[in-house]
Amino acid sequence: MKKVLFFVTLLVLTLAPVASVAVAQDTPKALEDGKLTIAWIPKALNNPVFELGRDGCFAAAKELTEMGPYEVECLYLGSVASDMAEQARVMADAVAQGVDAIGVSCNSDAGCVEPINSAIEAGIPVMTWDSDSPESNRFTYLGVSNYLGGRAAADLLIRTMGTEGKVALLTGVPGAPNLEQRIQGFKDFTSKYPGIEIVTTVACNDDINLGVQVVEETMQSYPDLDGWFFVGLWPIFAGRGAMPLFEEAALNGGMKAIAFDTLPVELEWLKDGLLHGLVGQKYWGWGYDTMHMLYNNVIYGTPFEDFTNSGMDIVTINNVDAMATAWETQDFTQPLPPPFPGE
Amino acid sequence: MSDITAQPRPAGAPPRFNWRRIIRGQEVGIFLVLIGMILFFSLSTDRFLTPINLTNIMLNFSWTAIAAFGMTMVIISAGIDLSVGSVMALAGIATAMLLARDNSPFAGPDGVVPDTVIPLAVLAGLAVGALCGFTNGLLITLAGLPPFIATLGMLQIARGIVYGWSQGWPVQNLPQNFMVLGRQNIPVGSFNFPLPTVIMLVAGIIAWIFLTRTAWGYRIFAVGGNEQAARLSGISVMRTKLMIYTISGLLGGAGGVLLTARLGVAAPTAAQGYELDVIAAVVVGGTSLSGGEGSILGTLIGAAIMGVLRTGLNLIGVEAYWLPSAQGIIIIGAITLDQWFRRRQGKSRGFARLFSRGGK
Repeated sequence: MKKVLFFVTLLVLTLAPVASVAVAQDTPKALEDGKLTIAWIPKALNNPVFELGRDGCFAAAKELTEMGPYEVECLYLGSVASDMAEQARVMADAVAQGVDAIGVSCNSDAGCVEPINSAIEAGIPVMTWDSDSPESNRFTYLGVSNYLGGRAAADLLIRTMGTEGKVALLTGVPGAPNLEQRIQGFKDFTSKYPGIEIVTTVACNDDINLGVQVVEETMQSYPDLDGWFFVGLWPIFAGRGAMPLFEEAALNGGMKAIAFDTLPVELEWLKDGLLHGLVGQKYWGWGYDTMHMLYNNVIYGTPFEDFTNSGMDIVTINNVDAMATAWETQDFTQPLPPPFPGE
Repeated sequence: MSDITAQPRPAGAPPRFNWRRIIRGQEVGIFLVLIGMILFFSLSTDRFLTPINLTNIMLNFSWTAIAAFGMTMVIISAGIDLSVGSVMALAGIATAMLLARDNSPFAGPDGVVPDTVIPLAVLAGLAVGALCGFTNGLLITLAGLPPFIATLGMLQIARGIVYGWSQGWPVQNLPQNFMVLGRQNIPVGSFNFPLPTVIMLVAGIIAWIFLTRTAWGYRIFAVGGNEQAARLSGISVMRTKLMIYTISGLLGGAGGVLLTARLGVAAPTAAQGYELDVIAAVVVGGTSLSGGEGSILGTLIGAAIMGVLRTGLNLIGVEAYWLPSAQGIIIIGAITLDQWFRRRQGKSRGFARLFSRGGK
């Protein structure tokens, strides 16, 4: 008797997941209860650019709900700090909660494979944005090539500084794939110009305080520096007055500086002549576009290419006002004027 | 102090304090390491021994040292405070939120925050720090949690409050007169002393007097040397620990407020992992992790070593990718050298020292 019971239990246990998958695939839940819940999962909750993406996600949810017939919800989920193990847990929770689709920015491309694939096995379509997991079964990746972003930064620097000069790089955590790709793109582009010498690459571990310190130390080591590439915006958060040597060289020494990202504080620096070019991702679109793509995929079965280019914002003194207006009005749907109008 | 001197000294507590013994016994080795480092970097690059670089180095280890003074007391009492980095961030963000243009509750109709709010905001930051420390103390004494666990919990609680209050965004647009606290230089002759460094020196002198010249300081050593003996000799271990952790929180808060004033921004990720820098400064400075032994002067030298090392390696052009390894190797080397130096000294002083070590 006991043996029979054991085998029955075993049979139920093996078949149960299969059965639930079959149910999920046959009738999408969105149609059952008229509600489409999309989990939007950033790398971490402690980074302001993801807040902007979240706003885009909420905006899209509101827009799609008004369009009807379904009620669309953007479920903003994430771990506080960037951590793959925590993110895997968040994704598993989203699956258990029964969301209808997932858009995720992966903390690690390899670490994301298992959580993404098990969500898909449970019948939930998944796409990646900002940070991809190409080995997984996600249906598309929305983002920019960090490598091309680095090349664009190099192009901006050469246009403002000229084809000769000593250049320094500031990075965050050495070895972070997105930062390394930007650096690689920057170096590949500048290598065509023998007059450009990259004198040093300093790192600040994503810490504003350390960023300010190492930039000023580099200004001491190379008082005749001609250009900077900030691979992220860390020291700029400190605002005016924290880096006197840097400010002096940028304002009165002819030194040029290019930075990644287009946050309001950077726009102010650009207007003040402390920065000379910005390369930014479309953070708001991370949320807004992801929601639209997942909606179309779930409701209409719309297929997408493996890579969806979200484009980059190139900001110079010529179009900085338009970017500032977008931030003030929180409306990022308008295209920017050209960064170099004469071309 | 008379209530203490009348009681028998607990086993394991250091003998009566003697300025010369403290200087000779503990800090000489580590001080020589610091001098050696400064010499090495000065010879390696002519950018090191410039007034502006020395000013920068002193500025940059100020907040680490201030927090480390509190940590010294914690570690002397055989405890640990892992929450200090988060507490720094929390104090900084509390101050910044009271001062941020447009967003402060004290902002006028034009968004400007009056300068009279600045002392209030600084006090609020310090109070938040002290409150975190006091809570740590309660968890350790009343709830009986190991300091490691209690302060690890506080590390996360404080960081979570920082994220919650800031919603992930850095708090910016602080009044110019607040940033003076972190950016002003005090000229002494032809040399500029950053204001945070002056505050650090004042805090250090007070902490040193407190630890070596008062009954409270004596109790800290007694609790760390042998808690049971301290209790039997009539010391309130609970009150002593509450005081120690509150001081650690207060000084961490002070470091966080200064860091915020220097940067002009309170970031939610500020001071992440700084607890390890602070603990390293204390331990490099010769304070024993097993308690009962340590000094403020040593901690000051330890913090200076950490600051000189990082800036020096950067100035001589060590590649960013290799920098952490170079730092690790040199710190281990410095402590090994210091230990060797102390052993030699210990031998010459004979049994007294052996006995005080064995008493734990």
